[in-house]
Amino acid sequence: MHNLPKPMIEVDHLSKIYGSTQAITDVTFSVEAGEILGFLGPNGAGKTTTMRILAGYLPATSGTARIAGFDVHEQSLQVRQKIGYLPETPPLYPEMTVEGFLYFVARIKGVPAGDRTTKVKAAIERCNLQDKRHVIIRKLSKGYRQRVGIAQAIVHDPPAIILDEPTVGLDPRQIIEVRNLIKSLAGTHTIILSTHILPEVSMTCSRVTIINRGKVVATNTPEQLLTQLTGGSGYELEIEGEANLAKQVLLNLPGVSQVESIPLAGIHGYSPKDNRAYLRVISQPGVEPGKHIAAALLHSGFDLYEMRRVSATLEDVFLQLTTEEKNMQTEADSTTNEEEAA
Amino acid sequence: MGVVLSNIIAIYRRELQGYFVSPLAYAIAGVFWFLAGLFFILILMGPDGILAAVTALDLQGQQFGVPVPPIDVPYEFVRAFLDRMGWLLLFVLPILSMGLYAEERKRGTLELLATSPVTNWAVAVGKLLGVLTFFITMVLPMLALEAIALSASTPPMSPAIPLLGHLALILLAAAILSLGMFISSLTDSTILAAVLTFAVILLLLFVDLIAKNISGPIGQALGYLSLLKHYNNLIQGIFDTSSIILFGSYIILGIFLTAQSIDALRFQRQ
Repeated sequence: MHNLPKPMIEVDHLSKIYGSTQAITDVTFSVEAGEILGFLGPNGAGKTTTMRILAGYLPATSGTARIAGFDVHEQSLQVRQKIGYLPETPPLYPEMTVEGFLYFVARIKGVPAGDRTTKVKAAIERCNLQDKRHVIIRKLSKGYRQRVGIAQAIVHDPPAIILDEPTVGLDPRQIIEVRNLIKSLAGTHTIILSTHILPEVSMTCSRVTIINRGKVVATNTPEQLLTQLTGGSGYELEIEGEANLAKQVLLNLPGVSQVESIPLAGIHGYSPKDNRAYLRVISQPGVEPGKHIAAALLHSGFDLYEMRRVSATLEDVFLQLTTEEKNMQTEADSTTNEEEAA
Repeated sequence: MGVVLSNIIAIYRRELQGYFVSPLAYAIAGVFWFLAGLFFILILMGPDGILAAVTALDLQGQQFGVPVPPIDVPYEFVRAFLDRMGWLLLFVLPILSMGLYAEERKRGTLELLATSPVTNWAVAVGKLLGVLTFFITMVLPMLALEAIALSASTPPMSPAIPLLGHLALILLAAAILSLGMFISSLTDSTILAAVLTFAVILLLLFVDLIAKNISGPIGQALGYLSLLKHYNNLIQGIFDTSSIILFGSYIILGIFLTAQSIDALRFQRQ
């Protein structure tokens, strides 16, 4: 459909300083054509800043970003023709009707006069706005406004789409609809979407970049990232006894998901001793089976020489993300309850 | 070029449409029509109006048998009316221009415009044309009133002077709106934009008075910048290309500064 150079979006050592605060530091990632990249991070991590730089709305302090081969700052006008952008707050004119607004956007985005009707109609259908096409935007609920916001980002069928928190303010059913909509755009469009909700990326994105305090901390597929994240919390043990036997004992404990041997080189400052085993116990998220591990080992006749908790680099990010998601879930639940009550 | 024109038209239509559904715009138009109509009646038929003055003068002439110099009533009327309209602009135009960009900033729609393939100056031109069209729509009913009054004059008045006068009114409005648009692009507070615009217009209207107190070429140069002086010349029927150039310069300056200030947004550090 589009003749796409690869990669579609390239972000190279991007930094942004506001006055004395460093919003983002040395952010580097790339998005291949047709891919959906999730930009995951807690609130205030620098997601919106990065998105705004990509859209050409803000200049970077240093580093470069290219979309479809064009520099977002130097060749701003060319980039603007290639992108659809949904800012944090959907940019809507409250006095216009949904259809009138989309026609206006199609026009300023350079859609030829002959194509406007079909493109506007397609965007309305994709975002499920058929019933609201003649409604004035002021009268729409927040969920519908968000959908109009997405519609304006895709109305001109741009090769690259930048969505800043596209599911914020939507109810759970609408969230599913929007996620499906985004998924349906993949392949023909390259999408980067920011979110602070962990399951959102695992459901929609083919790749995830995690950003925290302005720095990229990881980039991977959602599946690998999840194991990486959850795999991080656990214990490292040094015991005396038969390693395989110890593994059996530990695996039977509640809260333990995995036990593996650690290659000796992995532990610093230890000279390997005879008959010692070095094990890593990976626990299920949110569980601390430490005392059970210690008790079970001693009870089974192993000597425990060292036991320490492992905190992975991503753990605090992950915790922050999961706790936020839990809050979101309870919020969503309470709104559904309210709706049911009403 | 075709694309730029299409963009300007798109921005223009959206802007204009915005005025016609805005309660504030209707309120301004209502107040404007009320005050302009009041001026119209007072100037023509009020106790100190032109008709009363001319009648008194005629009466004096007859009583004392002194010949009275003839007075061109339609001319005097048009000049006086346009003069009052000029003053009315001082209050009306800042309110019309205050939201041009400040509102876009507040609603976040500037982010849409700034990330669309539209040049900043095309947006500025479209917006200025939009607000100017709304202003001209506000003035149209006044033209009907004037046409009724002037059609009663014998001999009929030459249309050149009222035409020039109304052109001057529109040029003055365009110049002020253009500067108001620039001020609006600097802030996201509409009230602040209106107050600042009011202050700047006041300064530009009275730069004449300041200029008179400064001798030498600086004073002379300042004198040329006075919007009021050039407006008064034009409504008196004194056609001077330098007046047209001055108004044109203000308009272009406003558009240029607006485009620059929106561009600066892309370079700002905070």
